[in-house]
Amino acid sequence: MKEPQLSRRSGLSNRLIERLAAYVMVFPAMLLLGVFVGIPIIASLVLVFMRYDALTPPVWIGNDNFVRLIKDPRLLTMYSNTVKLTIGAVIGNNVLGLLIALGLRRITHRFWKSFLRTSIFFPVLTTTSTLAVVWWFLLSDNRGILNWFLSKIGLVPVHWLTSSNTVIYSLILYDIWKTCGLVAIIYLAGLQGISKEYYEAAEIDGAKSSQLFRYITLPLLTPSIFFNITLGIIGGFQIFDAPFVLTGGGPGDASGTIAFYVWQIAFSRFEFGYGSAVAVVLMIILIVITLLQFRISQKWVFYE
Amino acid sequence: MNNPSIMPTMPGSEQDLLLNLKKKYLPNLRNSLILILLLIVAIIELLPLLWLFSTSLRLPAQSYDLPPDFLPTSFRWQNYQAVFASSEINFPLFFFNSLKIAIIVTTGQLLTCSLAAFAFARLRFKGRDALFLFALATMMIPGQATIIPYFILMTKLKLIDSHWALILPALTSAFGIFLLRQHFLSLPEELIDAAKIDGAGFFQIYWEIFLPLIGPGLSTLGVFTFIGSWNNFYSANIFLRSWDKFTLPIAMVQLRGYMGSGSIAEQLAAICLSILPLAILFIFGQKFVIESYTRTGIKG
Repeated sequence: MKEPQLSRRSGLSNRLIERLAAYVMVFPAMLLLGVFVGIPIIASLVLVFMRYDALTPPVWIGNDNFVRLIKDPRLLTMYSNTVKLTIGAVIGNNVLGLLIALGLRRITHRFWKSFLRTSIFFPVLTTTSTLAVVWWFLLSDNRGILNWFLSKIGLVPVHWLTSSNTVIYSLILYDIWKTCGLVAIIYLAGLQGISKEYYEAAEIDGAKSSQLFRYITLPLLTPSIFFNITLGIIGGFQIFDAPFVLTGGGPGDASGTIAFYVWQIAFSRFEFGYGSAVAVVLMIILIVITLLQFRISQKWVFYE
Repeated sequence: MNNPSIMPTMPGSEQDLLLNLKKKYLPNLRNSLILILLLIVAIIELLPLLWLFSTSLRLPAQSYDLPPDFLPTSFRWQNYQAVFASSEINFPLFFFNSLKIAIIVTTGQLLTCSLAAFAFARLRFKGRDALFLFALATMMIPGQATIIPYFILMTKLKLIDSHWALILPALTSAFGIFLLRQHFLSLPEELIDAAKIDGAGFFQIYWEIFLPLIGPGLSTLGVFTFIGSWNNFYSANIFLRSWDKFTLPIAMVQLRGYMGSGSIAEQLAAICLSILPLAILFIFGQKFVIESYTRTGIKG
């Protein structure tokens, strides 16, 4: 009589123990996410209706920040810079990254393969601020190495960082230098995941190498392409280090990005309310873009 | 003379000879061309870093020499000694600050993320899906949208110009939870039932059975977190104010103004030293670091 009761009770308490253990385990992470992401995001959504500089008490100003935001000509410039930078970087990184990966796949010599992979990937691990001095020297107008090369081969020197027409392209080139290695190794991993049987079967059927690429490689690589483009856009919209360190957003506002502008409003002018409004709009745009990408991806991303 | 392996088809026909040569050498030629093109890319990727290293070993007066020398022309290791000897720069302190923060943050993430990931993957509890969804949702939020309230919070807590301002929010990450959960889910389901029958407690099961089995996941997250923390400029730039609190990324930017009249070669030596840990990590675990970056990408 007693035994089944006992085992039932211990079964119940096992469930309870499991549940308790689970709560204890998720607690640290959930607390940290709640305090440092959850609460700040709610606070941001309140701050957008306020004027606040951390010194004087906050003032409720309704939707004034959004009225100002719509009329802010600088914000439009920052968005246009950011979009240009993102599109240029995403296209450059993906085209070059894919070519590098396709090339690397053909290299069978062990030393060269490892040497190439290492050197092309290493810039990914560096950080813009630490290398800033190097880039100032490379890109400087009069004494820069790049301009010295251009003049040696008979071309006109370029005002890499000092002309409002070229500065955004310089930042795109810099981003490609720094990021194409990461994009390339993700493509390389994607390529290595494609089963050789597909190629063998197609070759027996007499497919040309251009057909192999068009009908086997490209479709089976779409998950990697999707991943690289999605991350590229999310990262591109948040580019901060390069404009901050290399150009200060200048000349004028020619290389200012939205992330840079948020920093400027909040931490150089201490307009926390308006800064939050700009940041929250950026967040909404990013979420919409990401969701749209996932929606569209169902039409073109091919999962085996 | 009539060796069939050299002329397999219709000896004497020049066209077929040409075709054979083509078949034999064209792939090699193409591969050599690919190798050369990739080498050009690799050299472009390496040149700025080569110039950095070589110039850090030159006489400061030769720093801006044109035409540039990308290979070392001299080996003045004194420049490196000067970095350590300088009482103004205090490089060892920046290095220590960066290392301290990176180690605390990495350890913290490995612990909090693996604990939460284990519970999400293998334990049954009320609100599990809701909490996991919340964690996932935080991944969509860009840093810009939380930094202002976080800054106000740190001001209230008097943690501006403290390393805690950088450490606290980085002690966990939704990305880490998501990544490790995938790794736990890939382990056989019977594992936990077997351990329960043996009478092991849940923390024991997590620590002794499950954690050792997701080594690759842990190392991926560890590499990622360490490098991210080591390179963190954004929040260091916002929160750190005084010279002795600086981490390397922010110190390297400030050095330029500080040493306006000083030696560029010494500054470049300091930059080389601040990249050194990543270079060492990369040289010894190259395959492993690259795999970490790809693993997060493809299978996530």
